[in-house]
Amino acid sequence: MNCTEFRARLHPYVDGELPVAEMAAADAHGAECPECAALSRREREFRQLLRRQPREAAPAELRAGIVRRVRREARWRSALPRIAVPAMAAAAAAILVALLLPTMRPATLVADLVDKHIAYAQIERPAELTSADPAEVAEWFRQRAGLRVTVPDYSPSGIRLVGARLAEAHERKAAYLLYEKGRTLLSVFMVPVVQVRPELPGSRVSYRGQPYATWERKGMRTVSWADGQTLFGLVSTLDYEALLECADRLRLERAAQTRL
Amino acid sequence: MAVVHLDALYHTALRLTHSRPEAEDIVQETYLRAFRNFHRFNVGTNCRAWLFTIMRNVFLNRLRGQGREVLQGEADVREASDTSSSAHVGLGNPEEEFFQTVLHGDIDRALKALPLPFREAVVLTDLEGLSYREVAEVVGCPIGTVMSRLSRGRSLLRRALSRFAREHGYVKEVE
Repeated sequence: MNCTEFRARLHPYVDGELPVAEMAAADAHGAECPECAALSRREREFRQLLRRQPREAAPAELRAGIVRRVRREARWRSALPRIAVPAMAAAAAAILVALLLPTMRPATLVADLVDKHIAYAQIERPAELTSADPAEVAEWFRQRAGLRVTVPDYSPSGIRLVGARLAEAHERKAAYLLYEKGRTLLSVFMVPVVQVRPELPGSRVSYRGQPYATWERKGMRTVSWADGQTLFGLVSTLDYEALLECADRLRLERAAQTRL
Repeated sequence: MAVVHLDALYHTALRLTHSRPEAEDIVQETYLRAFRNFHRFNVGTNCRAWLFTIMRNVFLNRLRGQGREVLQGEADVREASDTSSSAHVGLGNPEEEFFQTVLHGDIDRALKALPLPFREAVVLTDLEGLSYREVAEVVGCPIGTVMSRLSRGRSLLRRALSRFAREHGYVKEVE
């Protein structure tokens, strides 16, 4: 990629909206062209400035008012001919579900994560941020995208943190952590979801009392689970025992973080 | 009742209207419409984008009702295609330093001055974190248009902010 091509893609590059191959080409260009690197840094800083703007939460009365009005409307409609009642009740229930809707099918999502893992494994420098320090990586996600990411420390199991990048998965900004055990890569994805209990692909397994789904695709093993806000996906050629151990560790660290 | 996305909708409404009572009305109406039109919602598609789309319609209808600023600025939008202006700004430009000195009210003021098509692209992408695809769905235009509005919107915003910084005397006049 040359400077002209890089600058034409500056905004989607900074927004993490380029296809994987172009993203890698842009990273590579940035690494050798200080001018373009400075441009993208400046653009990122500008985005962070906008993101840092104080966000006014919706007033509690507004929330209560909406609930009241929707309920009143549901009641009013159910006062219509009897036949409408079950339909309205169903619609009322449906809207509650709608507001918690899946924005994607989890099976497709996990398949997408496998594709990303494979694609990243083929590029020379898959991490946007190279760091073996979990705290630094977590801070990078917070600054870069306002994401609160748990970055587990797998070093006791000989799995080394390599770095991180911001990925896009099904229209969502996702956190991507890259680890290495020897020469085997382990990808850890965290994707915000709005579904409480997504149907994950593969077989259900229980590990240390917690449910996970294990699934093989394109020669990769995946372990996935969700906690109501986030879908977690581990992709690697490591065996399931090792992956589940990593999953358990991530879950524990996240729980500890939430308690703080 | 799960009123997820409420903060995001309210926040965006506030950025679009600059008025709390108006933002509250718009958000409330958005949820009522979502409730009434739920049968039209395609399960499995993006709920957040759907709610934002409804809200944008509510907002535009109000503007039309009040005979106020409506979605124009298409001339500006066309102009955007021939400027990747932000990319042409050289290094060492004093603009770079103003980031440190932007006051909270400045961004509000600068956003307010942006023509609506650019304002909504910037607000949805940069402040609310929607993806290009979601923004395209919400504003009903191709992704390419979202990209050019965003690039133009950001550069207009940046220019306005650097002007404010000069007014505050933080950045010295060049030229």
